[in-house]
Amino acid sequence: MAEELPGAWFGFGFCGFGQALGSGRARRVLSPEPLRAPGAGLDVYRVSASWSYTAFVSRGGRLELAGAAGGAAGGCRDAWASEALLVLLRAGPGPEPGAELQAWAPGSALRGEPLWVHTVEAEAEGDDGPGGKPQAGPLPLLPCARAYVSPRPPFYRPLAPGLRARRLELGAEHALLLDEAGQVFSWGGGRHGQLGHGTLEAELEPRPLEALQGLPMAEVAAGGWHSVSVSETGDVYIWGWNESGQLALPTRSLAEDGKTVAGEAAGLHEGGPDVKSTAGGEDGAPTPFIAVQPFPALLDLPRGSEAVKASCGSRHTAVVTRTGELYTWGWGKYGQLGHKDTSSWDRPCRVEYFVERQLQPFLFSADQTNQKVIWEKNQTPQYIFLK
Amino acid sequence: MAEDINRDPLAGAGALWEALLALLPRTKEELKLDLSEKVERSVVMLLQEATELFYGGRRNECLQTSEAVLDYSWEKLNTGPWQDVDKDWRRVYAFGCLLKAACLCEASEDATTVAAALKVCDMGLLMGAAILGDILIKVAAILQTHLLSRKRPAQGPTQEQPSTKKARNEHVSIPDMKSERTVPRLHCPSLQYFRKHFLVPERPVILEGVADHWPCMKKWSLEYIQEVAGCRTVPVEVGSRYTDEEWSQTLMTVNEFISKYIVDEPRDVGYLAQHQLFDQIPELKQDISIPDYCCLGDGEEDEITINAWFGPQGTVSPLHQDPQQNLLVQVIGRKYIRLYSPQESEALYPHDTHLLHNTSQVDVEHPDLEKFPQFAEAPFLSCILSPGEVLFIPVKYWHYVRALDLSFSVSFWWS
Repeated sequence: MAEELPGAWFGFGFCGFGQALGSGRARRVLSPEPLRAPGAGLDVYRVSASWSYTAFVSRGGRLELAGAAGGAAGGCRDAWASEALLVLLRAGPGPEPGAELQAWAPGSALRGEPLWVHTVEAEAEGDDGPGGKPQAGPLPLLPCARAYVSPRPPFYRPLAPGLRARRLELGAEHALLLDEAGQVFSWGGGRHGQLGHGTLEAELEPRPLEALQGLPMAEVAAGGWHSVSVSETGDVYIWGWNESGQLALPTRSLAEDGKTVAGEAAGLHEGGPDVKSTAGGEDGAPTPFIAVQPFPALLDLPRGSEAVKASCGSRHTAVVTRTGELYTWGWGKYGQLGHKDTSSWDRPCRVEYFVERQLQPFLFSADQTNQKVIWEKNQTPQYIFLK
Repeated sequence: MAEDINRDPLAGAGALWEALLALLPRTKEELKLDLSEKVERSVVMLLQEATELFYGGRRNECLQTSEAVLDYSWEKLNTGPWQDVDKDWRRVYAFGCLLKAACLCEASEDATTVAAALKVCDMGLLMGAAILGDILIKVAAILQTHLLSRKRPAQGPTQEQPSTKKARNEHVSIPDMKSERTVPRLHCPSLQYFRKHFLVPERPVILEGVADHWPCMKKWSLEYIQEVAGCRTVPVEVGSRYTDEEWSQTLMTVNEFISKYIVDEPRDVGYLAQHQLFDQIPELKQDISIPDYCCLGDGEEDEITINAWFGPQGTVSPLHQDPQQNLLVQVIGRKYIRLYSPQESEALYPHDTHLLHNTSQVDVEHPDLEKFPQFAEAPFLSCILSPGEVLFIPVKYWHYVRALDLSFSVSFWWS
């Protein structure tokens, strides 16, 4: 890939702890605002947002926390924020190329000792520079791809040796894994269909999704109780719980508010034909509500767009397309959809903020929480970090 | 906010608000959250902030903060099996409900607001756990009294036909039981006799003369239920049976349930099933007792689970088994009940999923004998349970229940 141009970060969603969205005053930020990280001029390349705080990691290895948890540290390569635990990947203590995994209590402000430490073996090749194999990760998957971190004990969890993990994401009760061949695996609790095997049964061990076999996936993302995968050809597959429309399927709760695709359209964000969801039902027949989708469903994005990246909050979903548009849907009560209001949506809606400014969202991370963060690839080479 | 330092931040207008305030701790220091370390520090911070805002009279901010507490704890309540949810998360949820309900009532005392606050209390009772000495029950009672004292003319759908059933086009198939072995009946057996002949050998029996003088037998009617519980929010199961794909659970007030699923020619089957209504509405608990036979078990009296089962003619509970002893008291209407011994389990083809392993795949009154051939030969007992009668269903005994009339039953689960 070409050398990455520097870009700017934007954030929106729940901000009840002053965690660096916009001015940091409002409890919720309804439309993207430039992100302000503590410390000016930080060249942030990784943001991990938990519900009450956010972790920023800069290319120089500096970690900064904002929100209910504070503190800073150096020598960090990666960070993963959750309410129970802050996990850091830091350069090893000695001269060897290994790294150290540290788990901290978020309230510790990174002072004192971490709760536990685990030495991670050196990987075959270093950073994602040219000529190097792209690393697995980010956290919670370790760079060696042999294990991952969990916010609940046991914290360090080895993966079966046969699994060649490229990406791993954790939901509230389940885990998704994408291997190097593009096959998706899932395990954990399945009561909301989030495992995608067609049942509500739990799985103790990673189990491949048969429905997606033969369709190489490029990305996976896990929400609280739903799962998304994006194929190499840009198709979006989605399954799990749809209680707030996070699967872009008609949901009863929104119908009662008059906002579901099966009911009256409550105002579109883009011109052009109505977006229809992929729910069943012939034309003219009332579309049934879908509470749980236990098999992957193919999702049509507006205008036949191809997706390149997907990310999920606990009850919402976001997708960036090849043409640089951001679509969000699902639970919107805290502005986490970025549509300038607090509506929830059960169909993909484009975030107009970026279109209006001719900005192209490129890469982003959302989290188990309401908060959503976007890294946007700007045209002008500029590092922008604002608090 | 207008700052008047001399003004008591909690001063509000209205008798309702005064009554609520009297229930709550007087100061924020006296409001002990008492939460374990399982609850994340950030949440405790937010909840403390909410109580500070409340006692500081900053109602709107308190509402917003409480809402955030509710939304976050709701997610915890939905993570993992319900029985594994840490009780303290449920208490956090209950605290959020308490503050939200109180804030709503400080603003206004009109019926819509009070009904909304009552719904919040009911959510706290349904999903939360006891806080501050069961304060939510007391708050709910006050709100309910306030609502009833301002009774609007059109509170319930039809109040003038408490016991009439709408003529239904559908046939009520009363089972032809001539060929069926019936459950034995006893009149007021002694505890020892019951234990020796039915409890220990795990045999079903109908007990007569045990509950027939309970106040509920005379008092309960659609009208009475609407009076005592009409504005309260309860869980309702919608769909013919819980094994169906179309089956779902939803929340609504008792009035809405009666109107939608009992009175006005319902399109779907709705069932207020397996709900601990008597914990939610203590006034109703006074109309029932706990059968003495429950004390033959190992548990304490407060470990007995009392559930309400209230629904129209035609509700069906598919053939299933429960892990505790059950005394099923019939109050309104009749139920057709079939019982199969646990020894017959194989012939009942239980589902092989974890979720439904205690439920048979067979539709008892319309069995697919090609798919489930052994079912035809499985011996069973059956009965029509009528008001005043009590059916003893031994632990793990398979049972199938269909309501022949508008029906209200009360079950007692004990070990």
